[in-house]
Amino acid sequence: MTQPIPGIQTIGMSYAIGPRRVIDGIDLRLDGPRVGIIGRNGSGKSTLSRLLAGLLQPSDGTIRVEGVDVWDDRRAAIATLGILFQNPEHQIIFPTVLEEMTFGLRQLGRAKSEAKDAALATLAQFGKAHWHDASTEALSQGQKHLLCLMAVMAMRPRWLILDEPFAGLDIPTRMQLVRHLESCGAKLLHISHDPRDLAGYGHICWLDQGRIRATGGPEVLAQFETQMLAEGARDDLADLAG
Amino acid sequence: MISLTSPVRTRAQDWPAAAKLGALLAATTALFLLPGLWVQIAALAAVLGLYTLPGRVFLRHGLAQLRVLWPIVLVLLVWHALTGDLPDALRIALRIVNAVALANLVTMTTTLSDLTEVVHRIFAPLRRAGLPVAVIEAGIPLVIRFTPTLIQKGRALHQAWRARSSRRANWRIVLPMTLLALDDADHLAEALRARGGISPFED
Amino acid sequence: MEKNVAQIALFAALIAALGAIPQITLGFGVPITAQSMGVMLAGAVLGAKRGFLSMLLFLLLVAIGLPLLSGGRGGLGAFVAPTSGFLIAFPFGAWLTGLIVEKLQLRPVALRVGLASVVGGIGVLYLMGTIGLTLALGKSFAECARLVLVFLPGDVIKAVLTGLLVAALAKARPQSVGFTVR
Repeated sequence: MTQPIPGIQTIGMSYAIGPRRVIDGIDLRLDGPRVGIIGRNGSGKSTLSRLLAGLLQPSDGTIRVEGVDVWDDRRAAIATLGILFQNPEHQIIFPTVLEEMTFGLRQLGRAKSEAKDAALATLAQFGKAHWHDASTEALSQGQKHLLCLMAVMAMRPRWLILDEPFAGLDIPTRMQLVRHLESCGAKLLHISHDPRDLAGYGHICWLDQGRIRATGGPEVLAQFETQMLAEGARDDLADLAG
Repeated sequence: MISLTSPVRTRAQDWPAAAKLGALLAATTALFLLPGLWVQIAALAAVLGLYTLPGRVFLRHGLAQLRVLWPIVLVLLVWHALTGDLPDALRIALRIVNAVALANLVTMTTTLSDLTEVVHRIFAPLRRAGLPVAVIEAGIPLVIRFTPTLIQKGRALHQAWRARSSRRANWRIVLPMTLLALDDADHLAEALRARGGISPFED
Repeated sequence: MEKNVAQIALFAALIAALGAIPQITLGFGVPITAQSMGVMLAGAVLGAKRGFLSMLLFLLLVAIGLPLLSGGRGGLGAFVAPTSGFLIAFPFGAWLTGLIVEKLQLRPVALRVGLASVVGGIGVLYLMGTIGLTLALGKSFAECARLVLVFLPGDVIKAVLTGLLVAALAKARPQSVGFTVR
């Protein structure tokens, strides 16, 4: 058996909604502890994150994360990668914290008691052991974000895909979440429109209108920022998507 | 979400839920099969006794739950009075009150998780027969999670309506609420898939 | 599969949420709320099978003690009250509404859904509801039926509104409705 290609690899990955190609033939080789993808609103960032997480089926091309076909092989996919959505309301499935935490572990095939123990261990590791009985409804916005992170990290994925997880958070909450993310132990693939989120990331891709415009190191962030300031001076809010 | 289980802790909370349900079934059947006004009066006395045992708070809470019955009882009494058969009306009215009061008693003294467990056991033979009960069971926590969210969003819609209208929100608010539910369903389906989808749990 | 579970659960939650918006009362203890409109909606939007399961899930949650009925009612008492026939009819009403919407190729869509709602959402609910009243009140079926018919005008309006709403929905989000418009 050949060794699977490490990291994330896509070949000719496309995603079409009707005639419009939201993601248009992307070839990527991504690996490393911190990978960033930067792009404007509407550049296809959310679609890209959902393709890489196996939540959408590509219209064309292939996607492998650590050798796993994330759309077809869901069992291997959920053991390989987790995703944090922008809005935790869209991610929380259950009424209590413990149910939310154990769900993914049960899906990995763990027995009920084992899943419960692992969930409690993760809660303790994050210093939130007292949360287990809490209602997910009653959590603050920042707490909901943290719960989503804990529920995903309890499954011990090798990759964590972040789809603009900091949008709308205040500075202290954001700092605390960043701290938890830095120490979570998974490789991060962070997708954002804000260069500040990706400061210090070693590998950056610039996504523009469904295609990769540039890849490289931190210098890509600088190019992106220059371009954004130029575009900000114009008025392209008037353009409707075709 | 708050269930209708009584906040007052009673000894009946520790009894097995299946036994309480079985007793309820037997008692309700007896109420319907045994003839005579006196049976219903005796049953009412017994039911009131049961409601009084856990104390005053429990009794008041329990009686408040029965208030929804008065319009139908009133209709029944007036109706039978007009046709000249009042004792029969009294018997039927008492039977209704007794049956509902007993059923409420089980609801008030049994926790949500105990009843969910009974449902799981009742569903076992249906599951083996290949009926889609897994979907229903998987849905229980999802509804508990999303009902308050939808109510909250419905209230926000009401406010958005009132912010731009002097008139009360009417039936037209049902469409945006349905769209909200469909949107939430899309997000929920995605969240489920992201963590392994719904595979029937085996216990 | 995930999509089915999610839609079944969210429609059960929607019925509960519709029960929480202000009630229209016509007396007699039979609650007239947007909730019975929800039964028609569930059948028309989700189709017969998923509509049925969604309403069954809703009833199960009421039975295990959640206050999801209009006015915050719920629990086992709701299933032995004289009006329980209407409640128990929810899944069957949604099923028949959905079945007619799926099978009947009639344009415009509003008419098709409106008719299905009258048959499924009103016919089935009134039939089972009246049988329930007959058993509980010791009066004849015809007498109970006369009592129930007081609510018919309001419910016909709801069926019409459901037709209009679902037609609007089918136009705005054709991928979200369980039937095809040919």
